[in-house]
Order: sequence, then structure tokens, then C-alpha cells
Amino acid sequence: MTTVLRRNDYTLSDEQDQLVAMLRSLFTEQSPIGVVREAEPLGFDPELWTTVRDNGLLTISLPTTVGGDGGGLIELVLTGIEIGRTAAPVPLLDHVVAMRALGRLVADGISVGALDWEAVLSGETIVSMAPISTWELGAELVPSGAVADAVVAFKDGALVLLTRTEHAPQAPNEGCSPLAWWDPQDSAVTVTTLLDGDAAALQWDLAHREWRIATAASLVGILAISGEIARAYAVERQAFGVRIASFQAISHDLVDMHMDELTSRNMTLKAAWLTENEPDFRPELAAMAMAQATRAALRSTAKAVHVHGGMGITLEADVSLFYRKASSWSLVGGGIRRDLQDIGRAIDRRAGERARWHENSAAVKG
Amino acid sequence: MDFSQVELTAEQQAFEKEVRDLLSTSWTPNYAHIALDHDRSPDSVRLAMAKRGWVHPELPEGQGGAGLGEIEQEIITALFEEFYIANNASNSLLIPTLEQHGSAWLKEHVLPGIRSGELTTCLGYSEPDNGSDIAAAKTRAVQDGDVWVINGQKMWTTWGNESDYCFLLARTGPIEEKHRTLTMFLVPMDAPGVEATPVWILGGGRTNVTFYSDVTISDNYRIGPVNEGWSVMSTPLATEHGAGVKTEGVVPINGSMGAGFSRTFEKLIDGAIDWAASRTGADGRSRLEDPLVRIALAEAMLDLEVCWNAEGELGKPMAAEALAVNADRLADMAAPEGILDFGVDGSIAAGIIASERQHAPGSAIYGGTTEIYRNNLARRLGLPRPY
Repeated sequence: MTTVLRRNDYTLSDEQDQLVAMLRSLFTEQSPIGVVREAEPLGFDPELWTTVRDNGLLTISLPTTVGGDGGGLIELVLTGIEIGRTAAPVPLLDHVVAMRALGRLVADGISVGALDWEAVLSGETIVSMAPISTWELGAELVPSGAVADAVVAFKDGALVLLTRTEHAPQAPNEGCSPLAWWDPQDSAVTVTTLLDGDAAALQWDLAHREWRIATAASLVGILAISGEIARAYAVERQAFGVRIASFQAISHDLVDMHMDELTSRNMTLKAAWLTENEPDFRPELAAMAMAQATRAALRSTAKAVHVHGGMGITLEADVSLFYRKASSWSLVGGGIRRDLQDIGRAIDRRAGERARWHENSAAVKG
Repeated sequence: MDFSQVELTAEQQAFEKEVRDLLSTSWTPNYAHIALDHDRSPDSVRLAMAKRGWVHPELPEGQGGAGLGEIEQEIITALFEEFYIANNASNSLLIPTLEQHGSAWLKEHVLPGIRSGELTTCLGYSEPDNGSDIAAAKTRAVQDGDVWVINGQKMWTTWGNESDYCFLLARTGPIEEKHRTLTMFLVPMDAPGVEATPVWILGGGRTNVTFYSDVTISDNYRIGPVNEGWSVMSTPLATEHGAGVKTEGVVPINGSMGAGFSRTFEKLIDGAIDWAASRTGADGRSRLEDPLVRIALAEAMLDLEVCWNAEGELGKPMAAEALAVNADRLADMAAPEGILDFGVDGSIAAGIIASERQHAPGSAIYGGTTEIYRNNLARRLGLPRPY
């Protein structure tokens, strides 16, 4: 047994900082809260989608070999955070994750069915992911499923592409997310097998991890903006002659929200870097990032509402909008228990390491 | 951004083997040794490390250290974990203070041993009537010619019974003048009149009340000018709250206390895994495959990963609270055996879950309560002073 050390460097490169600045200004300008509200109940703004396409945001995190600009998962995470900060009503993250999965096949010369790859690249054809497809048979709720033309799923041990000729109706939900039921048995749905066997399972696992990472990133954005709004309000709002942020009952909640944001952000970046650079090392990190971002977003948006008192629960309050988005964006992947199930990979690995430690160590066993 | 594995150089690999060999010969890993973040390193290990300059490896060779870098320091930390050795031999809080403010005599006779780690120290700040309000200290030092006579008592003097010196805060003028009449001393703990009485804490750990009755010490033991103890003392206090110095990015991002608690938390999970692997359920399968066990373990592992991703000062409250929550979670997971005492027949992994459940509340108190930390963090977020 030898000591293994790893680096813990979370810093962004200058190029990545510039990307954040560009995305921040684009989404702040093009997706103010009025646009988000206007896009409800479907949760999709075709005009904003055109802006996203025209500004080349769909190909930032795609390899050059399949028509992308060469960025990777870190760039996708940074994009996700900005989408979350503005609750931008576009299916960018689902589309890019599905496109990256399909792109890996395209790069290997595997057919992606009837899809026109150029139309996918340009965003004219919208693709999405069916993250819970390994857990349940039959129909399932698909994120961005009400605006997608095609969906990547995993059915009966095969990586499949589901396509529809016309969009599925939205399944109404509290966050006004374009969720929809997709049923492989439905006559409107065509199922094409892309890959089967072990290769299919590996491809699905990677795509699923990337979906968790991208979704976690959007929740980090929600955490960041909710925290900022709540802090600004608590510093301004007076009660009993003082600013309410001077009450520890409030300031400590604001600190906890900040801790939730930073830990979720760090875990998402770390999961992204390792998934991209060393996919076999700690494959549970994507599920961990997703579970942490989910629980953090749910409780922190609730705290942001609470800090605002009665105003917080009004529909016109910005914090109530982010509270609604938090659940619709986070739980579409099947919820924290599904993440925990996959974190179970780490239990078996650690149990193996422990067995070796016991074998090799002359430790006093108590 | 970089989370890659560090390729150790040939020298670093040789160093790793050297430390490993030293630990193998000076310490038998004690699996049940859970109070790793609270206990002092065993003397056998500390003295062997001190001889090689490895207690403060970052100090230059010939000045108590070994002139080693961050990677070698992290190798030492990792091996202490692997061998289940408490990693608390450091005097790093005091070294800068003595260098800046110590008398020439202290620098010549005591500082070298403190730098090498041959000598050990404890802190004498809190008193029975003051905890966080350190400037209210009543312990009095009165000058009598060339000597000082000290009378009073200190609380929470952890390691007071096993240290060579105490970094003591004493009153040297009218108490009404609070922080303007305080002076620091380095009191030899074997001086006549010093007595450390044990205070047993949850989990079986020991701290002390220390009594000072007409303790007479030379003026050489004074640190810094008379009545300027407040600024002298703040040198190590600032260090205690801070994070490690990052140069090569292998040091965990959470501060030293948060990292210590996280490592203890890791041990707790290991103990729980060992227990599950050793038990068979009524269905004939390992308890490691029991979904109820797996969900609890997965939740604990998730919380641990969160702790390792909490930066600087955030790391302490985060890890202290995660430790408490998860000690409860794992005791519950392994109920009823989870509550059996240390070393008792049938206890879990030598009782480390029950033991840590008792230690955990202290983690959220000593070195600054989680509330104090949150107040500090709130100020950094631009929030107003607490009402």
C-alpha cells in the first residue's frame, strides 16, 4: 500500500472566467425574470432559444471532432450555473447532454438513427435525456420532453433513441418545466436501438452522470441567486428598529445557504473534472453532486422564501419562483434516493479497501 | 482546475517509506483509537518524529524541521490516518509568537525544543468565569524583583497534564482595564504550585482545570512586553482559525479543524462498513447488501464528501455538525449494538460509533462554537453585527 495524494484545485482558467462573464451578461440581459414568467406555463421561450443558438452556446461544450468548439464538462457546468441564476426557459442543458452522448456515437461512426446531426448541432432539432429510464418500465416523465423531438434513453439493456413527429403535451408541474410523458409503446413514438451490450451500458452510465452534473450546476445557479436575493432583502428590511439580518436566527440561515451554495458548486466542478478526465475514478461523484445540489436547493430556496416573511409566499416574489423551479428541476431525475443508490458504488469499493487494510495491518482490533 | 493524482518523485516515495517504517516500529495501529482530532500524539511517535524534524517538517533543517514541502507534509498526515495515530503534536500556533515576542533566554533554551516538537505546549486562556470573553481573565501575575508570582486558575487546559509548557494569559494590572493589563507567559508545567486536575468529557476524553498557587517563575518566561499580552496572544489565535497555506494544491481546502473532523468522520464510516461486512442478515446475505444499511452508509459518505468540499472557515462548523448527525445516523443504522461501549464484547468496530457519538458534541464547541463561526462568516458576507 502506498500513499496516494490528489490535488484539490478548483480554480477556473482565464478563458473560463471570460466565459462566465459572457454568459452572465447574455442571460441577465436576455432572460430577465419577466421573460421567465412570460414563458410559463410551458417553460420554453422560442425567442430565447434562437438567441442561445445564434450565440453559439449549444456547441461550447462539445468536442471539435463532431462539430463543437472543444469545451467540455466544466464549460457545461459554468453554463448550467448561469442558466440556473436566471431560470432561463430553454432546454439547453438537456439538449447539450444528449448531444454529447450522441456525439460520442457519431465520433465512433455509429448511426444515430434518422437524426439529422447538423440540425441537432444547430438546435433546430431538440434532443433530451430520459434520466429515469433504467428504473421504470413503460411511460416515463422526460425533462424538456414537451419541447424535444428526440430523447436518449436506456431500455432493456440497450441505448435507444425515442423520436416523435409532433411534440408530447406538457405534464403540468409546479415549476412550469416542459416535462412530458414519453411512452415507448405509444404509436406516436419510434424507438431506434443505437447500441446494445456492455458498450451501451457504459455509454448510458456516462450520459447519465453528465446529466446529473449539468442539472446539479443549474441548481447551484438557483442557490446562488436565491442567496443573493435573500441577503439583500435581510440587509435592507427593518423590524423592531433594526435590520433583520442582525438577528442571528436569520443571519445563520443566510450563512447556511451560502455554505450550501459553495459546497454544491465545488462538488459539481469536482465531479465534472473527474468524470471528464478520469471517468473510472470515484464514479459516484456525479450522483453525490446531484444529491447535494438537490437537497441544498430544496432547503435553501425554502429559507429564502422564509426570510422574506409573508412576501416570500406571494407568487410575484422572485424567491417563490426559484422555490418552484428548484423542485421541478431537481426531482425529474428520480430524486435523492436514486442518487444514494448509485453512491452505493462507493460502499463496495471502500469495503474492498477495508478488507485489504485488515489483511495488511497488524492493527489492534479493539 | 486539477484533481489529478500527484506523481510522487523517487525522493518522495523514499520519504513515504521512511515515515511508514518509522510509524510501523514506533506504534501499533489502534483501530479503536477514535479521538484522533482531540488526543495528543503518543510520545513514542512524537519523539521519533521530532528527532527527524518531522513534527514541523516545513521548518528549515537544523532549525527543528526538515525543510520539506507540502507534499511531504500531506504524506505524513495520510500515514498518521492509515496508522490511526492522533496527529496533534504540533506547536505551530506558538512558534511565530515566540519568534516575534519571546525573550532571548526563551529563544535560546526553549524555542528549539518547541520547534522540533521535543517539547509540548498547552493553552491557558479560558477561566471558570470566562469562556469566549478571554479579556476578562483574573489569573494574576505579580512581579517581585526578578521573578513573577502567579495565582489563579484556568479552564479547558487540554493536554495540561502532559505538556511541558503552558502559554498563559495573566492579569498584570487593574482588571477594570480589561485587555490593556494582560501579559503572556510560558509557564513550565513542572513548576511548584502548578496542578492539573482532570475534567472528564463525553467520550472519555480528558481536559483539565489548572490551578496556579504562588507559582514563581523567572522574568525570562515572559513573552512580549508587560501589559501587551492581548496583541501577543492574537498571533496564534489568528492562526487557529485560518486555513492551511496552499502552494501545490494537495492540502484539503477546509481549515485544519474541519479537515481533522472530516478524517475522524471517515474513520467512523470505515468502522460502520467493517461492522456491516462482518454481519450476516437473516436472509443469509451480508448486511453490506442490506438496502437499509446501504442507504445510511451512502448518506454518510455523501455528507463526508460535502465536508471535503467546504472551504476554509466553513469547514469547521460543517464537519463538526456532520460528525454529530452521522454518528447518530450510524448508531441508529447499527442499533442496538451501535450503543455498546468501547471494547465491549459484541460492540461495533470496537465501539467507535458509540464513542464518537459522545465525542461529537464537543467538536461543535471547542476552538470556537459553531455559532461563533457562523457570526464570523456572516460578517464576511457583509451582514451586520448580531443584534
